[in-house]
Amino acid sequence: MTYDMRQGSSGVVSGDSDLWCTYAAVRTLSWLERTGDLPSPETVGGFLASRQNSDGGYAWSAGMSSDAWATYYCTQAMADLPDGSRGAVGSPSSAWVWGTAHEDGGFAMMPGQSSDVWATYYAVRTLVEICGERPPEALFDWLAALQAEDGGLAWSPAHAKDGASDARACYYAITAWSTATGGQGPLPWDRERLTGWLRDRQSAAGGFTFQAGDGTDCLWATFRAVSALRRLDENPRDAEGCVAWIRDRLLPGGSFTRWPGYPVPDVWAAFCGVGALRELGAGLADIADPVVEAVLSFRTGQGGFTYRTPGLASDVLTTSAHLLAGHFSGGGERDALRWVEGCVMPNEHGVMYMPGRGSEVRCTLWALSAGAFQDDAQGRARIADWLASSIQNPDGGFGYWEGRASDMVSTSAAAEILHRTGGSPAAASLRGIAAYVATCETAPGQYANVPGGRPTLRATLQALRALHRSDGSDGSDGARVGDVLARHRVRGGGFANEGNRVPDLLSTYEAVVAADTFGLEWDTGHLTKFLDSVRTADAGFAWTPLMATSGGPLADCLGRRLELRLSPAQHALPPLALS
Amino acid sequence: MHTADQTEISTRVLALLEKRFGDTVLSLAPDADLSDALPGFDSLAALEYVTAVESEFDFEVDFVGDDVRYWFSTLVRTSEYVRERVEDQAA
Repeated sequence: MTYDMRQGSSGVVSGDSDLWCTYAAVRTLSWLERTGDLPSPETVGGFLASRQNSDGGYAWSAGMSSDAWATYYCTQAMADLPDGSRGAVGSPSSAWVWGTAHEDGGFAMMPGQSSDVWATYYAVRTLVEICGERPPEALFDWLAALQAEDGGLAWSPAHAKDGASDARACYYAITAWSTATGGQGPLPWDRERLTGWLRDRQSAAGGFTFQAGDGTDCLWATFRAVSALRRLDENPRDAEGCVAWIRDRLLPGGSFTRWPGYPVPDVWAAFCGVGALRELGAGLADIADPVVEAVLSFRTGQGGFTYRTPGLASDVLTTSAHLLAGHFSGGGERDALRWVEGCVMPNEHGVMYMPGRGSEVRCTLWALSAGAFQDDAQGRARIADWLASSIQNPDGGFGYWEGRASDMVSTSAAAEILHRTGGSPAAASLRGIAAYVATCETAPGQYANVPGGRPTLRATLQALRALHRSDGSDGSDGARVGDVLARHRVRGGGFANEGNRVPDLLSTYEAVVAADTFGLEWDTGHLTKFLDSVRTADAGFAWTPLMATSGGPLADCLGRRLELRLSPAQHALPPLALS
Repeated sequence: MHTADQTEISTRVLALLEKRFGDTVLSLAPDADLSDALPGFDSLAALEYVTAVESEFDFEVDFVGDDVRYWFSTLVRTSEYVRERVEDQAA
C-alpha cells in the first residue's frame, strides 16, 4: 500500500462511533487532565450508555452480547467523564461481571467461555475500580499459572504450557494482580524471570515488541511493556532510549503514530504514547495541547469517537461489505482491496477491523471473501500461518483475536479461512477445530456459541459447517442441517435464530449458506417473501422485519448477496460470519 | 368495536411503552414514529414492544405477513392493528 493510500484512505467510512476508540480518547484526555475540553461530554456518556444490555453488561455494538471487554471500556470511560455527564453505573454491571467468574479463579469474556487474561483483567478492574468490590482469592492461583517456561506470561494457563508469552498478557496479568492487591500482596510469579523477559522485548532502537521473534517495535507493545514493568516497580533497560523512541512517533500535527513507517496518527497511538510517557515519568506538558486537539478531531456526530478524522476513518468490514455488494467500479475496487490488504499489523498477519488494531478472524474472512489477497499466494499463506501458529487456542477453537477465548463465530470463520487458504498448517489446525466444536454441543445436533451457552440456529449451523470444513463430520451432518432448518423456519418467510417466530437477516443468510454447503434444496419463494419484508425504501435491508430503516452496510451487503443468490445466475453466497 | 374500546386499547398500548421507556412516552404524539420519538427504540426494543402487545392482548403476530414495521411504527397504527385483531378473534 502506498503512503498516499494510507494517508487519504481508499476504504469506506461507516461514520459510526466505536467503543474502543471512545474509551481510548476519553482515557487519553483523562490522563492529560483535559476531559474538561470535551465540547459535549453528555453526548459521549449517551453513546456509552447505549451499549448497555438488559443483563447489566455492555456490548461492543448495539445488538451484540455483553462481554467483559465492552463492560470495562464503557464503565471506565463513563467514570472518566466530568461529573454530571456520566451514565448510571451500578450493581447491574457488577452482577453481570460476577456471572463471568470461572471456578478456576479467572474470568471469561462472557458467561460459559473459558477464562483468559484479557477478560480477567477487564473483570478485575471493573469489580475493584468501578464497583468497589474484591475479586475471589482463587484469582491469584490462576494468575500464577500464567508464567511460561521462558519467564513471560501467557493468555491462559493452557497457553503457558505451550510457551506462548506476550507483552500484552504480561500487562493484563500484572495489572489484575496490582489492582486486586494494591500492588502490596505477594507476587504470584518469579519476579526475576518475568522482569527479564519483559526487558528483553526492548530493541536497540528503544521500542518494544509483543513477543520473542517479532521484528518491528510498536507503540502498543511499548506501552504495555513499560506499564507492566512500572507495576513491578521496574524500568526498561534503556528508559531514555524508550522515551526517545516514543517521542519519535509524534508527528508535527499533534499526535502519535503506531510504528516506524506507518504515517497515520490515530487514537490508540495517542492513548499508547501518552500512557507510556506517563508510566515512564516523562513530561507531557509540551505535547498536551496538540494531542488534545488531535484526539478531539476524532469525534463523530454520534457523540463518541472513531480512530482518526471521521471522514477518513475507513474500516475493513464496511469496505468489504461494499466490495461484496458490488458497489465499486473500476479503479475504486482495486484501490479498496489494496487498502484492505494494508490493514495488517507488523508481526501479525491477519486483517484487522481498523488500521493499527489487532488482527481479527471475522474481519479476515470478510476481507478474503471480498477478494483481498486473491493474487497473493504469500499473503494467503501468511494468514494461514497466523491462524495455525499464533491464535488457535489450546482447546482447538478460535477467539476474535489472539489470546481471546474461543467462540463458535470465530471458530467457524477460521475454518472457512483455513479451507480457503489451504496448506499443511491449515490441515493440522482444521483437525483441532472438531474438539472445540464438541464442547459447544448442548444436545445431539444442537450447538451454542460458547460452551454452556444456549443453542441457536446460527451457532448450530456454524458448528456443522466448521465440522464439515475440518472433516470432523460423521456423515449425518446434512440431515442435521435439514432438521435444524426445519425447526427454525418461520412460516411467513426467513429463519429465526431462536424458535421459529422472529426471522432475521443474519440467520436467514446463515441458513442459505448452510443449505448450499450441504447440498440441500430450499424454497426460493420463502426467501423472496422474507427479503421483501426487510427491504427498505432506499434499496437497503433491515436486520429484521421490525425495522423500517437499513441496518447499515453489513445488512445491505447480506441482503444484496441473497438477492444475487436468487438471480438467474445464482451467485454463490460467501460464507460470512458476523455474530 | 366501539370508540371507547379503541381508546382503551390505546391506553393499554401506551402503558406498555411507558413500562419500557418511562415518562418520555407521556408526551408522545399518537402518530409519532416510535423509532424517532423514543431514544433507544432499536430492533430489540421493537421486538420487545411487539411481544408485549401480543401478551397484553393474547394473540400472535405474523412477523413477515403482517408488515410489522408499518403497524408497530406508531401508537395509533398499533392500536388500529390491535383493534382489527381483537375483532377478528371475536368474529
